[in-house]
Amino acid sequence: MEIRIQGVSKRYFSEGKTITALDDVNLTIPANQIFTLLGPSGCGKTTLLRCVVGLETPDSGEIRIGDEVVWSREKDIAVPPEKRGLGMVFQTYAIWPHMNVFDNVAYPLQVRRLPGDVIRQKVEKTLRFVRMEGFEKRPATKLSGGQQQRVALARALVGEPKVILFDEPLSNLDAKLREETRKELRTFLSELKITAVYVTHDRVEALALSDTIAVMREGRIIEVGTPRKIYFDADHRFVADFIGRANLVKAKVRGHEDGHTIVDCGLGAIACQGRDLPAGSEVTLCIRPEFIRIARGEGGAGRNVVSGRVESLIFVGETYEGEIRIGNELVLAKIDPDAGVKEGDPVRFSLDPAHCLLLAI
Amino acid sequence: MDRSRSKLTFSLILIVGVLTVGPVVMLILGSFSEGLTAFGRFTLDKYVEAYTDPALLDVIVNTTVFVLGSSLLSTILALFLAYLNNRTDIPFKFLFKILSIVPMMIPHLLFSVSWALLLNPSNGMINLALKNVLSLESAPFNVYSLWGMILVEGLLDLPIAYLIIAPAMASFDVALEESSRVFGAGTWRTLVRVTLPVLRPAILAAFILGVVRSLASFAVPSVIGMPGRVYVLATHLYQMIATGFATDYGKAAAVGMSVLAASVTLIVVYRALTAESEKYVTISGRGYRPTVVELKAARIPLFLVVAALSFIMAVLPVAVLFYTSFVPYSMVPSARAFSMMSLRHWTAVLTDPLSLLSLKNSLFLGVAGATLGVVLSIFVAYVIVKVKTRAAGILESLSYLSFSFPGIVIGVGFMWFFVQTPLYATLWALLIGYIATYLPYGIRPLASAFVQIHSHLEESSQVCGARPLTTMRRIIVPLLVPGIVSAWILMATMFVRELTLSVVLSRPGTEVLAVQILRFADDGLWGRLSALGIIMIGISTSLVVIATLIGAQFRAEESAG
Repeated sequence: MEIRIQGVSKRYFSEGKTITALDDVNLTIPANQIFTLLGPSGCGKTTLLRCVVGLETPDSGEIRIGDEVVWSREKDIAVPPEKRGLGMVFQTYAIWPHMNVFDNVAYPLQVRRLPGDVIRQKVEKTLRFVRMEGFEKRPATKLSGGQQQRVALARALVGEPKVILFDEPLSNLDAKLREETRKELRTFLSELKITAVYVTHDRVEALALSDTIAVMREGRIIEVGTPRKIYFDADHRFVADFIGRANLVKAKVRGHEDGHTIVDCGLGAIACQGRDLPAGSEVTLCIRPEFIRIARGEGGAGRNVVSGRVESLIFVGETYEGEIRIGNELVLAKIDPDAGVKEGDPVRFSLDPAHCLLLAI
Repeated sequence: MDRSRSKLTFSLILIVGVLTVGPVVMLILGSFSEGLTAFGRFTLDKYVEAYTDPALLDVIVNTTVFVLGSSLLSTILALFLAYLNNRTDIPFKFLFKILSIVPMMIPHLLFSVSWALLLNPSNGMINLALKNVLSLESAPFNVYSLWGMILVEGLLDLPIAYLIIAPAMASFDVALEESSRVFGAGTWRTLVRVTLPVLRPAILAAFILGVVRSLASFAVPSVIGMPGRVYVLATHLYQMIATGFATDYGKAAAVGMSVLAASVTLIVVYRALTAESEKYVTISGRGYRPTVVELKAARIPLFLVVAALSFIMAVLPVAVLFYTSFVPYSMVPSARAFSMMSLRHWTAVLTDPLSLLSLKNSLFLGVAGATLGVVLSIFVAYVIVKVKTRAAGILESLSYLSFSFPGIVIGVGFMWFFVQTPLYATLWALLIGYIATYLPYGIRPLASAFVQIHSHLEESSQVCGARPLTTMRRIIVPLLVPGIVSAWILMATMFVRELTLSVVLSRPGTEVLAVQILRFADDGLWGRLSALGIIMIGISTSLVVIATLIGAQFRAEESAG
């Protein structure tokens, strides 16, 4: 089911100050996709999710789920959360400690007064789906973090909602479990025909899980796109910087040449991805460290050849992270462990214009 | 949603405000007004009269010695016990649990009476026994003295001091001590330079709470102090309002204002200290037990000390009362004494209309008062924990205010308050006064229960499609049940034994158990007193058992679906 959010704003008053949590948000979440709201903490992503589910009341605007208007200031519609028929996985999982696994999962069906054998069937099916079969009688307090996460997912799925919402569901797990659960979640969700809205501040999680990502900052949606688009081809400097490590270099457009835009910057004249920018405009050149590869016997050929000096080298396991000094600029690059360079060595590398991204601001 | 919440907050502020600030306002007004009411012409006479009373100086000296001495005793004992339990290899650690909980079941009044029965100079059992054995002329001990008062009050305040110090001791980060050892300090030096200073906020908090409690204490000063003509502020006030030819509430209020002010100040300091001690406490969370100090040769002697203390605190008072209720007059346990045992005192009590009335009244106040008190506490605790507005903060301060009210002082305020209403001299006056004074006892367990109910637990029920009432019934109430049960138990046991407020508010027809027991003590009817006291303990214990069973039943039903 599609979710349409139009002109939604929300302000808080706390200790005499006004905090704008959502600032005129317009967003369409397409049906049957994994859609992620990504942003730093305090950007309003959780508030937006809570407005969709009905736990928070916006100050203005309209929210539609499918064909139904669930909230509208003008039309004076406010459907309470229990009537919206959604599923949600909370950050804390919110597994009720006084019930066992079965009762936790059966709850959404019990409150709908379904017959007992139907409930039992559906709970069994859902628990099998999240690979928690056999845990029905286990008290909720005796579950590990990963198990709680699965029970929470089962509870959100058991009522077969058309939309399921996730509020940072992996942030309470340790790093290794988080990675496993992320993969599992991706598998579970792609097996179902369901619209999933996922809130996170973890960019890797967002990139790995989503069909579409919306990046938020200070209560606004900054940019919406596929993970590849957001990572390689962001329109905004904030998005490019937030989604991954990036070298951001001030540059000025010189002109255009066979599909590339040529800029002048601290690295020299660099041919970049073509952008429709007038000559002379101030831009930011964005180069991800993984596309600055310095390997022995390489470099010097092709376009965009840059030479500099290795200022520092840090070994981080699969690679060295090197800072390379080029005039006044300091650029972060990945260097193969077997490249054989040392601190202070002069180096040369070339940049593929396809990976030199220009940002308007 | 927000609007209904703030409406709730404001009506609660109004209710709790009337209950706690109301009597204080009446007290202030009364202390400045002419005549016996609170609304007479303005005058300073009461203050002049109260503070130029030549007896007052003695009373203040006595009070200071009594309050500081008993608090020091309870704090040192608590520190000693907490250290032994948490940090040494002393055997039978379950004794510490008994020491910290069981004495709370024994009303202060009865605890004091049992010591009077043991150590009074004319026929105290220990005195009689020692006189026989050592063929002494006079009794070796006189409990009716300042020292006797300090001993008994110190023992009474021991459990609460222990409950403050022990958790701080248990969650103490041993690395702090270990590093002191690494840098060359010995066990003793580490204890003095590191352990005790780090625990200082908790120790001070226990001491200050002891001061507040002994300042408000009425049982010990009346049962043990008054027969020896040792008067402290509480009994000085009691004399002014309950005995003598001309009761003078205004003068009592004038003296009471200083007691109240001191008490409120101390509670403010106490709350700051407990907040501080929570900051100091560093739980390492690495799951290893702190290094245990080996007591070696001292192990058994120290254990005997703890065992003796447990016996004195938990077994002896009940045993003494039980024994006294069966023997005709005070005598040392012997074959003769056992042969003379009878149910005389029990039949006397159970046919005494006044005792039966007080029994009925106390039972009603315990059950109805605790139930109403818990209902109010649920709402107050909900607002304090879940509605985090400034108004909720005001409600929190208001509701903990009564914690610092000495019952006998605030009782005078309540009396003036109720005289203005038709409730005066009814059981409802006592009921309202009890709830107001003991509100923190209900709020505290419920507030911690609410803290455990993360808002996500409610919200997730809502998202699952449950209506608000269903969420209330299936999620919130079951999770609250443990808190409700302990709040009810605490309030009910407090109400059944309540003494200090009752001596001021109780009128003919509204006698309660503690007042009746005090009357028996004044008349020296120790046998009847003991029988009624055992009945009082019996009622408290049954209330605890019943409430626990109901709570367990409720949980069993929920988990059965």
